[in-house]
Amino acid sequence: MTLGRAHKGQQTILVTGGAGFLGQEVVKILLAETDHTIRCLVRPETTQQRFEKILGDQQSHHNRFELFPASFNDADALKDACKNTSVVLHLAASTVGSIPSQIANTVVATENLLNACVARKALSKFVLCSSFGVIGASAINRGEDIDEQVPLETHPELRDPYSFTKLAQEQLLWKYQKKYDLPINVIRPGVIFGPPHSILTPRIGISMFGLFLHLGGKNKIPLTFKTNCAKAIVLAGLNEHITNEAFCIVDDDLPTSSYLLKRYKKQIAPIRHIRIPYLILRQLAKLNTWYSDKTNDHIPKIFTTYKVDAMWQGNNFPNTKAKKMLNWRPETSMDEALDATFEYMKSTLHNVDHK
Amino acid sequence: MKQQGVTLDIAIIGCGQIADSHILESRRIDGTNIVGVCDLNKHLAKQAALRFNITHHFTDVEKLLKETKPDVVHITTPPRSHFSLGQIVLKRGIHVYMEKPFTTNLSEAEELIATANKMGKLICAGHNAAFDPAMLRLKKLTSKGNIGNIVHLDSLMGYNLDGPFGAVFMNDPYHWLHKLPGGLAQNNISHPISLILSQMPGKVTVQANGFRFRKQQFNDIRDTFFDEVRALLVSENITGQLIFTSRCRPVQTYLRALGTDGVIYASMDSRTVTISKGANMPGPFAKLQWAYREAKESNRELYGHVKNMLTANLHYMEGMKELLNQFYRAIQGKQSMPIPMEETLRVTDVMDQIINQCNANDPR
Repeated sequence: MTLGRAHKGQQTILVTGGAGFLGQEVVKILLAETDHTIRCLVRPETTQQRFEKILGDQQSHHNRFELFPASFNDADALKDACKNTSVVLHLAASTVGSIPSQIANTVVATENLLNACVARKALSKFVLCSSFGVIGASAINRGEDIDEQVPLETHPELRDPYSFTKLAQEQLLWKYQKKYDLPINVIRPGVIFGPPHSILTPRIGISMFGLFLHLGGKNKIPLTFKTNCAKAIVLAGLNEHITNEAFCIVDDDLPTSSYLLKRYKKQIAPIRHIRIPYLILRQLAKLNTWYSDKTNDHIPKIFTTYKVDAMWQGNNFPNTKAKKMLNWRPETSMDEALDATFEYMKSTLHNVDHK
Repeated sequence: MKQQGVTLDIAIIGCGQIADSHILESRRIDGTNIVGVCDLNKHLAKQAALRFNITHHFTDVEKLLKETKPDVVHITTPPRSHFSLGQIVLKRGIHVYMEKPFTTNLSEAEELIATANKMGKLICAGHNAAFDPAMLRLKKLTSKGNIGNIVHLDSLMGYNLDGPFGAVFMNDPYHWLHKLPGGLAQNNISHPISLILSQMPGKVTVQANGFRFRKQQFNDIRDTFFDEVRALLVSENITGQLIFTSRCRPVQTYLRALGTDGVIYASMDSRTVTISKGANMPGPFAKLQWAYREAKESNRELYGHVKNMLTANLHYMEGMKELLNQFYRAIQGKQSMPIPMEETLRVTDVMDQIINQCNANDPR
């Protein structure tokens, strides 16, 4: 699955969110495995210094790299960013804050970028890095597959702000695809992991009242290592024959939540935890919802049965479509990826989630 | 067709972060019905309608007013649009609840209130901090003369630049906050101003300074706003000190009233009110008595909160709910305006003085 140099001559690839956790890996792959020019749309204050490590000493990397600081609210700057661009890899998204601010920073930003792209007309591919959160997992039974066949979420308001926003963003892209015949691909990664992030994701559990509530149990956690996920995004952008497809991206040999927590406790920090089985969690969610409704949100709805079903009921996560159509393979094995992540967490113990 | 006097139909213009609180708190009040939401951006309008199950959403204000015919409109847009939107809504004969800051300057506030008076409609400023349960308790105690005559008032408001909203405007040089004449302070200090003025009658003179103590890192408009403001307010024989700080932790908002016969401290964060009457015992016994009285005050508040917790009475935005409830009652003729329009002008006047002085004293 090498990308091969000189895809129909040199192209300019616009990467948004290139300074971020996943974006940096995408830029690395594009520099290492293609001859294309990489234009990185970054926040106005971001400097080239952020990319020095990636660019290294190779002059050819520096020659093919363009930093494009601009705001997503600046329509003219976005048009300039899209100039001579043949592929857009759109990774930028807001991950924190209220729903309105995430909508403004993710959905409105995407619409502004799409408007700049459709104005240019010569785009050969627009790839969106979406999320597993857009999939209507609550409608699926325990133990069933969550893949590209599962319809999109129908009640995003019952999920978390990030899922709500990413669904609105993906739906917007499909609208543009239909309206302007825009060639697109959508990548829906599971939980992207790797240094410097911790492995303890909400699918494993959450901290509350000084305790770690272990919610994942024996569920498989849909992980994808950052370099593996980045490769899928690049392949979805550069494959000329695959268009208007969505791909769920998870690695092979997925570990269970219990395994990850046990390893975390052994290698990183002896956190106090309590296991909450799925059926009990569901009852607690009902109680949470009942109390919240009864008291006008005196305590917010942290858990709802809908969210519990979507996140913690336990499902399988196949990755056959990406393998078959994009010829994608997770080049870094799960063992190697977990070793690297735990090694990093161990070396920076001051950053651990729980003490 | 709506039954008059039974339901108050509410519309929201501006579907940003604060609109969520307006929708949630107005729904906690009996006899209210949110008939529509509106935002220039269709995605923001749609998300509010979807999440809160509101039937109609719009991107055009005139269409919202025409099709939903609200009794009252909440304006929760960026402050620079408050004046023009307020004029549109009032001129259509609809009451207005205006999110703070009321307007960007005093002349706009005067004109808006003149329009309200001309149309016979009410306009209420969103100075909800003064209606927080702790602040209402402080007000009740001072009006009863519990601490004698007020000598001085201290109000502090903290702000976290790394918080959910802080992170938004710090990452965006195009954010509306950077275009306000008073920047971050203008968007926030109407709360501590209204707290001080609620206990300080008469005409107020101001001495103020603004500071930028954060790291100057952007080389653009994001480096210009003041992150710390200090203001001394004087009216007749009462002084007041306003502190706006983005560095102090924990982030908090409080009002402390110093009187001739005691001191009251009201915290919005813990929602507690403690009174200090000092000690009347001699020598070291005074220290013991002082500490005992302070502990007694704290214990009373703690037990009160245990009860409040058990009876589900510690809602986060209680001050907003109380102000909205009183405003809606005023619209229905059941009480007077919770914040008289003249009081709104006083707060805006002090805000103008603080911002003008901060800008005038700025060495840049």
